Amino acid sequence: MILFRNRVWVARTVLACALFLLATAAVGAQEIQGLPRPTALASQSLRPYWHVFAAYAIVITLIGGWAISIGRRLRDLEDRLR
Amino acid sequence: MATAGMRRGGTALTLVGLAGLVFVYWMSFFWVSTEINQGVVQRIFYVHVPAAWTSFMAFGFSALASAMYLWLRDDRLDRAALCAAEGGLVFGTIVLTTGPLWGKIAWGTYWTWEPRLTLTLLLWFIFVGYFMVRNSTEDPEKGKRFAAVVAIIGALDIPFIHMSVIWFRSLHPEPVVAKPDGPSLPADMLTTLLTSLAVFTVIFLGLFLYRYALEGLRAEADLRSRSTAT
Repeated sequence: MILFRNRVWVARTVLACALFLLATAAVGAQEIQGLPRPTALASQSLRPYWHVFAAYAIVITLIGGWAISIGRRLRDLEDRLR
Repeated sequence: MATAGMRRGGTALTLVGLAGLVFVYWMSFFWVSTEINQGVVQRIFYVHVPAAWTSFMAFGFSALASAMYLWLRDDRLDRAALCAAEGGLVFGTIVLTTGPLWGKIAWGTYWTWEPRLTLTLLLWFIFVGYFMVRNSTEDPEKGKRFAAVVAIIGALDIPFIHMSVIWFRSLHPEPVVAKPDGPSLPADMLTTLLTSLAVFTVIFLGLFLYRYALEGLRAEADLRSRSTAT
């Protein structure tokens, strides 16, 4: 009798666990559909940031380079005039 | 004396402009909102567009001074045209290097032969030609006249660059600021862009004056060497 009771209990427990797992899997599968696909995640990178930083660095370099170039030419000319 | 004043004024304006540039960078990175479709790479807009505006202004001014030089034959006008053309070339290089960095993320390619890109590159090459023509003749006066004509021809390209996105099929978006029914940018983006436009203009004016002082000094040196020779 006790053995029979145990079997029923085990069967119910297994059934409950199976239902729980099935429900979790179903909810999980539904949730996963809303997430970005693995390829989309892989394509998200720091690259746009590097492009922005490079563009801003180019601005500083070219403007600074022009200012320094004018300054040097002015100094050379002043030295020649002295 | 005038040269020294211009040099001081140019230095002061450039320093104000560079301080403004630091402020624009702060606005761009920490203040303005991120564009929803392109994300962070759209921030290149705040240096790319003002650099384009400044280069067109510089090339336009160079052409105007060149036309007046051909009419009045005043060397100061030729010097102004030369200095503006050099500035235009610097800011044009900024446009042609920052644009592809943006394009690679937004369009998937660094370069494509679409109308606006092609015409901007053409403008840049015409003004490279300006310096080549200027130094290619034995008679400097002839070189100045030829270069003035090149500058005027080059500036004719500027309206085509602006209108190319309307007239032709283009990857570039249509104008979002300079259009008949007013700007269509969100307020914070427009504020950042206009601040950047002002800052780039101030930097150009400062360096233009600084560069003009150099040409003034060079003219003075030429005059001295000529009077010593005679």
